[in-house]
Amino acid sequence: MAGELIGNILTLIVLAGLGAAGVLAVILWKKNRASRVSFLRFVIQAVGLAALFFLFALEPAIPLLYILIAWFAATLFLGRFFCGWICPFAFIMDVESVVRRALKIRHRLLPEKLNVALHKGRYLILAAFLLLPIALWVVDPPPNTASAVMMGQLLAGPFRPYSIIIDPLIPPVVPWTGQLILGDINLSYPYVGDIVTFIEATPGQILALAFVAVTLIGAFFIRRVWCRFCPAGASIASLNQFKAFKGVPLLYIDKDEEKCTKCGVCKRVCPAQVNEVYEQKGGKINTSQCMLCARCVEMCPYKDALKIKLANKTVFESRNWLEPSIESEERKIE
Amino acid sequence: MSKEKTVERRYLPEISQKEMAELKNTVKTASQKIIADNIERMKKADPHRPEAMKYFDDIANLFGRRQQEIQAEKERGKKVIGYMCLFAPTELILAADAIPVRVNSGWYDTSKVGDRVVPVEVCPVIRSTIGAKMIELSPFLEQSDALISVLTCDGMTKLGEILSDQTTVWGMNVPRVKDSNQSLRFWSDEIKHMKAQIESLTGNKITRKSLKEAIANSHRATKAFRRLQDLRKANPVILGRDAMLVNQAYSWDDQKRWTEKTEALCAELEVRVQQKDWVCSPDTPRIMLTGTPMFWPDNWKLPALVEEGSPSGVIVADEQCSGERILNDPVGVDEWSMDDMLNAISERYLMASTCPCFTSKDGNEDRINWLLNKVKESNVQGVIYYVIRGCMLYAMEYSRVKKALDKINIPVYYLDTEYTREDVGQLKTRVEAFLELLNARVDF
Repeated sequence: MAGELIGNILTLIVLAGLGAAGVLAVILWKKNRASRVSFLRFVIQAVGLAALFFLFALEPAIPLLYILIAWFAATLFLGRFFCGWICPFAFIMDVESVVRRALKIRHRLLPEKLNVALHKGRYLILAAFLLLPIALWVVDPPPNTASAVMMGQLLAGPFRPYSIIIDPLIPPVVPWTGQLILGDINLSYPYVGDIVTFIEATPGQILALAFVAVTLIGAFFIRRVWCRFCPAGASIASLNQFKAFKGVPLLYIDKDEEKCTKCGVCKRVCPAQVNEVYEQKGGKINTSQCMLCARCVEMCPYKDALKIKLANKTVFESRNWLEPSIESEERKIE
Repeated sequence: MSKEKTVERRYLPEISQKEMAELKNTVKTASQKIIADNIERMKKADPHRPEAMKYFDDIANLFGRRQQEIQAEKERGKKVIGYMCLFAPTELILAADAIPVRVNSGWYDTSKVGDRVVPVEVCPVIRSTIGAKMIELSPFLEQSDALISVLTCDGMTKLGEILSDQTTVWGMNVPRVKDSNQSLRFWSDEIKHMKAQIESLTGNKITRKSLKEAIANSHRATKAFRRLQDLRKANPVILGRDAMLVNQAYSWDDQKRWTEKTEALCAELEVRVQQKDWVCSPDTPRIMLTGTPMFWPDNWKLPALVEEGSPSGVIVADEQCSGERILNDPVGVDEWSMDDMLNAISERYLMASTCPCFTSKDGNEDRINWLLNKVKESNVQGVIYYVIRGCMLYAMEYSRVKKALDKINIPVYYLDTEYTREDVGQLKTRVEAFLELLNARVDF
């Protein structure tokens, strides 16, 4: 009881601290747009992680279906903003990148063809995971839980960000047990639970863990490797693939053809190896590969060549200068 | 200065010491006079010239302060690496603690000497540089321990070969289609090879730290450079010639000092903007130059004609590798690892370049976009397309540029000339007629 109380208080403190940091970062950025947008994104990701954690730990829990609906509605207008700025799994991958940079290990690139193939193939993964519960139900109807549990384990690990979508589908198949509590501490995120319960490993769990290991190690060398074929990302983006929804995204990257010298910086800095920003001649960048992380806009050395627009209003634009760290150094001298 | 080569001279003829000394003396004296004269005319054109320009007037004397400085550095063991095209990765040179200098020659008189080696049809920049080498006129060319020759246009391709008779020349192969991964890979290999060569010449290893510092310094220089170009976009507070001289001085000046002095100049100009202290009437036609590079000191006739003519114009922008292209593009480093820094350097030098030596499926679109953007940003009223005879690539791109500029209703004037002073009178008439036309357009 006391442990739980302390745990709750700690959660609140961490959450409040992160929230304050997020607000502070936004204020700082608004005041001086030259500060790094990557830094801001990092803070927001951390806040997002805490917020999701809190959302899941909330008693009584908000039905996941509502979250799902809200998320889909937001996606329609904001594109893959969630992936770039909030997704906790992406945050873990970004942290790995920071560690790698600190260790001065260079990052690798996926071959361009493989990247495109994965990008297109993620719809297959998405379809497979949507069909899996149905298939299992047919093969092994509900009273019999062995295969359902196995699938639950499979989905629990690597697809945790995805489980926001898949969870409403699980109850008919898996007896969903809710939070994983060890002692008084909630361990259900991120993956700690899976590792702790590894002692009672099932084949599905081993698969899940292997998958986590592979993606985490992969993400250490290849930035955001998981995002290239993330089925959750695909489901987010899939709405915008329909013609009727093409005009809907309110948040997008806009490119000014005349200001661009095709120097290639945007292509090289992109954590998801998106080529469209570089290749498209101008106007709205149209690709569901882009996660709107704004790294290209931040690094573009030509003023106003790249802009992030929200409902035709520019939110953030490329500046005259590259690494703002140098700019702030200059300010110190002045 | 250059070590005795056992290789026989394949191109350059032997000139007797006496003749060489004589020629060198004549040309040098004439050139010093021209430098002084050019600066005098710039002072006269703007009686209220910024204080900070004093430094650049001083550094503009190619046979003066900077030559002695480099000589002193050389005696201390530093190496000097000359380059002939902007594709040479100066960051690598700086990171290896060597001095980069650009050695293209702007002397009219030496092009006559170069005629002994190559026919007159060849681009005068090439002939003049060959001539300068033959009579050992150019201080920076003589001080260079190695030259980086980038195979861009036809002239540059052979220039390196011809100069290799007397100095060490490193060729760098530029892929002519830049929008492809294989080109970039190829060029990255060239850059890495160049890094190894620079390291072996200087004996200094280019480390992550030194390269990072060099890139950061170049960023600062770019920042100062862009600040100056931004000041030219509104009502004129500085003559185009002054700004052009500042830009070009970068290619032989000490980087840090150049940055400092340019920042000082900008600070001074910003005060003038506040005081609305224009250098000439804001009505003056705003001219942009594009085409063949114009090298200090001799090839300064066109900017002088534009800004001293009656009616006169003011040069507010240019698209030349002797001008705004020098520092416009920074090296965009993502992660400060050696690998990424080298990638960033290769991309900056290959892909950001708008040199007409490139071709692609869209044509050399980057250059057109640059021109259109500059015209709009700087409110350019007329473009002078400057070509010296023999400069094929720029001459051939003219009709494309004309079509693009016609679309936005900006008059463009094709001006062809030579490395000679004889046609100044004729040029004056042509330039003034163009400026007259621009004035008439403004009046409408």
